[in-house]
Amino acid sequence: MSGALPMLLAWGTVVGLDLVSVPQMMLSRPLVAGALTGLCLGDVASGLRLGVLFELFQYDILPVGATRYPEYGPATVVAVAAAHFDGVPFGVGLATVVGLFTAMLGGVSLQMLRRLNTRAVAQAAPALEAGDVRALTRLHLAGWGRDVVRAAAVTAAGLGLVALALTFVAPVLTHRGERLLSVAATGAALAAGAAGTLRIVGRGVALRWLAAGLAGGVVVAWLS
Amino acid sequence: MKPRLGAAFLRLFTVQASWNYERLIGVGAGFAAEPLLRPLRDGEDGRYRAALGRGTRYFNAHPYLSGVGVGALARAECDGAPAEQIERLRGALAGPLGSIGDRLVWAGWLPALSALALAAAALGAGLPAVAAFLVIYNAGHVTLRWWGLSSGWNRGVHVATALQEPWIRRAGALLAPATALALGFALPLVALWSGEAFRGPSRVTLALVAAVAFGLLRWRPDVLSGLRLGLVLVAVALVAGMLWR
Repeated sequence: MSGALPMLLAWGTVVGLDLVSVPQMMLSRPLVAGALTGLCLGDVASGLRLGVLFELFQYDILPVGATRYPEYGPATVVAVAAAHFDGVPFGVGLATVVGLFTAMLGGVSLQMLRRLNTRAVAQAAPALEAGDVRALTRLHLAGWGRDVVRAAAVTAAGLGLVALALTFVAPVLTHRGERLLSVAATGAALAAGAAGTLRIVGRGVALRWLAAGLAGGVVVAWLS
Repeated sequence: MKPRLGAAFLRLFTVQASWNYERLIGVGAGFAAEPLLRPLRDGEDGRYRAALGRGTRYFNAHPYLSGVGVGALARAECDGAPAEQIERLRGALAGPLGSIGDRLVWAGWLPALSALALAAAALGAGLPAVAAFLVIYNAGHVTLRWWGLSSGWNRGVHVATALQEPWIRRAGALLAPATALALGFALPLVALWSGEAFRGPSRVTLALVAAVAFGLLRWRPDVLSGLRLGLVLVAVALVAGMLWR
């Protein structure tokens, strides 16, 4: 695992930055982050599987304004790393445990970042009001820099959790136990995805379109 | 003017980098607007510094549509609009730019394309599905950012007309059912694909866990989130899994 650490850390940082700071091109979307992590590790199957799983968890949140939400991008990166190095075929259980904790940590770190930015803005308020372009540039780039540190720290913490899980939990987890964990993780993701879908769609006419889509999906699933 | 508009456009991709509870994206919007305000530096009357000072005040918008406000407010400054009018414009734009963007992007374009990518991945498209999602999503994303900035800059204090353009209403009307359709289409495919890794009793257990968890999430959305429920479920399964020999 140690050989892949710099790459995972760098990629997790890019993914974390993409969520809010720059460039918001959805590299932080779990499906993208997971698939590209899998590609980098030579394990596209695990990347896609965990990318889909965390994408379903992502449906549970709308990143609107000052709302608090977990951060699933770096979480997916470390989860794919966990699944790859765990080596259990289709075993997403332990990887999801690590990923969900990292997502929670990422969410907390975003609140801390916002508070730090608020403090910095309050301190620079006189210079900002005076139209000091250097103060403005410094303040804005410092916010960016803080997010780089935050994203790197969250990814590093997640990778630390991966190491702990692989060292202490994986050896005592039986095959049955891993399967049970995978069932719980997949079930929770499907439930979060379905509940999030209903929240996005809302009420009224859109529900009929959702029902039509469901019918179409069932037919295609049956035919495929 | 084109290079300055280009510089402002590139800076818009970082508009949320200094997001804070006091001014929200105000500092980022001021940073993005700065290249557009540079012509004001030529005068000796301090208009540039006054405009920049105003440009960093409280502002909120969907990040992809923040260019509408950045462009319009910078143009109003360059056209010499009174400070009170500029402040009124800033306040008036914040609400609509947030709600239109949330509706079109966060609750429309993004989940619709994400659902189609999930469905394609479940049907075996793999990496090409992810690549197509990135390319198509960002084609819309970058176009929307550019439209916003150029509309704001071209219309200045009359930017409200840009938000009344028919395509916005049409896009909203089209995206709502399209998103619902795509999400509905994806769910059974993803559920089936996710269940393929399990056999027999495990698959039945998966269906039960998903159904009960969904019920709980619908029953107490004020208390339970996907993350919380997921953590509880995997924690219970982890303990049970370590004990189950």
